[in-house]
Amino acid sequence: MKLSPTSNLSASLEFLLQEISGLRSQWKSPRRLRVDLQAETLPALIELLKGRAGFVHLSAISCVDWPAQNEFELVYHLWSYEVKVLVMAHIRIPRDPGIYLSIYDLYRPAAFFERDIHEMFGLFFEGSPDMGKFILTEWDGPPPMRKEFDGEAWVMNQFDWQDYQPGWLKDIEAKGGGITTRPEDVRRDKPKPWDEQS
Amino acid sequence: MRPENYQSVNHPPSNEFELFFGPNHPGIEGNYALKVRVNGDEVTSARADGGYLHRGFEKLMEGRLWIQNIALVPRICVPDPVPMEVCYSLAIEELGGIEVPERAQWIRVMQLELSRIAAHLFTFGGHAATTGMYTPMFWGIADRDLILDLFEELSGGRVYHIFNIPGGVRRDLPPGYLDRVSKTLDYIESRLPDYDNLLFTNKVFVHRATGVGVLNQEQALEWAVTGPNLRATGLDFDVRRDDPYLVYDQIEFDVPVEQAGDAWARALVRRSELKESLRILRQVVAKLPSVGGPIRAPIPNPLAWNLPAGDVYTRVESSKGELAYYVVSNGGDKPYRVHVRGPSAMHAVQVLENLVTGARIEDVAQIMFSLDACPPEVDR
Amino acid sequence: MSTLKNIPVVSHEKPSGGTGNLLANVFDELMAFCRSRSLFMLHYCTGCGAIELPPAMTSRFDMERLGIQPMVTPRQADILLVTGYVSTKTLKRIILTYEQMNSPKYVIGICSCTVNGGMYWQSYATAKKLNDYLPVDMYIAGCMPRPEAVIHGLRELMENIKKGESDNWRDYYRRYDHYLGNQQRLFGENWQTPTDIIGEARHYDLMGPETLGPHTALLEQHQTPLKPFEMTLGLADLPVRKDEPR
Repeated sequence: MKLSPTSNLSASLEFLLQEISGLRSQWKSPRRLRVDLQAETLPALIELLKGRAGFVHLSAISCVDWPAQNEFELVYHLWSYEVKVLVMAHIRIPRDPGIYLSIYDLYRPAAFFERDIHEMFGLFFEGSPDMGKFILTEWDGPPPMRKEFDGEAWVMNQFDWQDYQPGWLKDIEAKGGGITTRPEDVRRDKPKPWDEQS
Repeated sequence: MRPENYQSVNHPPSNEFELFFGPNHPGIEGNYALKVRVNGDEVTSARADGGYLHRGFEKLMEGRLWIQNIALVPRICVPDPVPMEVCYSLAIEELGGIEVPERAQWIRVMQLELSRIAAHLFTFGGHAATTGMYTPMFWGIADRDLILDLFEELSGGRVYHIFNIPGGVRRDLPPGYLDRVSKTLDYIESRLPDYDNLLFTNKVFVHRATGVGVLNQEQALEWAVTGPNLRATGLDFDVRRDDPYLVYDQIEFDVPVEQAGDAWARALVRRSELKESLRILRQVVAKLPSVGGPIRAPIPNPLAWNLPAGDVYTRVESSKGELAYYVVSNGGDKPYRVHVRGPSAMHAVQVLENLVTGARIEDVAQIMFSLDACPPEVDR
Repeated sequence: MSTLKNIPVVSHEKPSGGTGNLLANVFDELMAFCRSRSLFMLHYCTGCGAIELPPAMTSRFDMERLGIQPMVTPRQADILLVTGYVSTKTLKRIILTYEQMNSPKYVIGICSCTVNGGMYWQSYATAKKLNDYLPVDMYIAGCMPRPEAVIHGLRELMENIKKGESDNWRDYYRRYDHYLGNQQRLFGENWQTPTDIIGEARHYDLMGPETLGPHTALLEQHQTPLKPFEMTLGLADLPVRKDEPR
């Protein structure tokens, strides 16, 4: 069955979405539906999608940092094995204090993504089962994925670099290794080995 | 005789103790750790411990050009790198509105399936080794090397072949390449009965794998299990068929499904997928000579390439499961945000913790390998 | 038989010039030869370069013919192969593992990332220069090096061991303060490993001018007395199976 923005199923999906107030939906491609809504109405939308449209698969939760607007954008990617449509629900929450509700009670995989976002962005999810550290256990700096964290400057401050030692190359060349084909030896108009075959 | 002032170390005495399973452990896949609490030899609770392979890819990508990131993405999953390149390229193409030429799409499909075969052969070896059989590992890795040779001829790299770029592929196939591909396919197909004799009808393996790490369909959906692990629970779903990308809708293939949901069923699904991948590759090899045209759509100067603002979510079916990229552009020459959804992020953390609980300690390694978890996808 | 007493069993320095005694180093050379021919490599996949090790070890490239085999425990291993980038979290484990290994021990850094950060030079999570933290005997550059390159590197290491040139593990004792300083810079001042390196250096008579210094003084301030590990993992809050008596 080919699904398109005009087919019956998607029309009924859009009809279903009208129950949520202040929701804007937009078909980005036949199987991708972008939904923008208020942060307060997201739990209602997710309950609706899971309960009445068969969106049982939480593909991912992504977080985008928008420091200019002082907002975090959370994107919930939900897939339905029956309708075969991926709904991307976008909400925006203020960066300060950066607290949102967990959807762990509806989707178990949310625990992983929420913990990940908490580690990387410092966004706290109320009701998530585990907000401890998982990946960055040895890290005590600011949440690294925030835009204001300058990773390159941190690296320059924290690490030294290997000194260039031309002696190493001489050692290797003395043993017959090193750069055997210099750039000037490579000529573009030379026949390639496979040209002779054909 | 115990001395009078003897005090037990375990106070009060109990059978319960805690074990580090990894990161330096032969039974763990890659650099990953699992902390388990055991009572006797039965696991009572487990906790995954990741982050050993964390490189901060998502942060690194924000600091590099769109085209530079192509070199970065295959590193996210080492045994199966091609889906990473393809998925990221698909995202950029969708953002920039680039139409990929048909020939490039077929070449991509060929690489994807070759990579899937290589990854599955690797997994068989690992899975068999956890049940004490090392011969499948030697065979699987030796046969995988033939595929790596094909990749090497195509791109110059054995493991990381940064061959798919936004717009198409880097180079056309060398003359005679398809013949060599079909020779390799013939060879691998002729090896399949050997694998069956060695592994899939081997009593030791069947008895060790049956009934271990059972995941029913309800649990699998609840924990967002994807890929072969989901198909082993009886759900007939494949991103290649149900959310098609590239030219998979023009290719005929079956989606193998098993019902049992245990380690044995997962191994069987991979075994059948190997056969389906060979079938797909045969079609690609037959089709490619008749598909002419360019191999790459013209792209703007990649060093000053501003993609229009927007966001896109692309999914492909990797050998581990559903792989997805969420890419956001703000109109600049670098990605504003890239989120990688690796399939193992689910399998190696929550699913593994749950399946291991209640299992016996000798099955822990087998459960991890039967889920085909790839730790770098978790840590990124 | 009395001449045997003149043969030094362990000599750390080669005799300068011709001393005349041809047998002076015979035991050393024999030991070095044997040592170079039975290398056990620690089975620890630290990064992506580890994917080229299975082909190198199994049928196609077959490293075992050179006498190199994987070994699962650090106590019995000779070579620590650092295969690829090391994140800060892994680096801690690598240092612990290295200090557990029995000397003589050798460290090989495979892949460009161990040399200078490689393509992750911007990354906040990975350590850049491995020889700041551990005494590296050999680097094998490449992203990633082919199995042939790995085998070539290991053969060079064998040659070096045979000639007695690879003794960077002594450097770790002699310049412990330098290595500890770099480790403290990355992990914080409270960094402490359960191995008493200074005590070992005293025991093996490997105290150098840089074994003790400002960083080891700092270590002594923060050091908690070494005692057996208590295995507490914080698992108490995790769900325990219902039929299981607590």
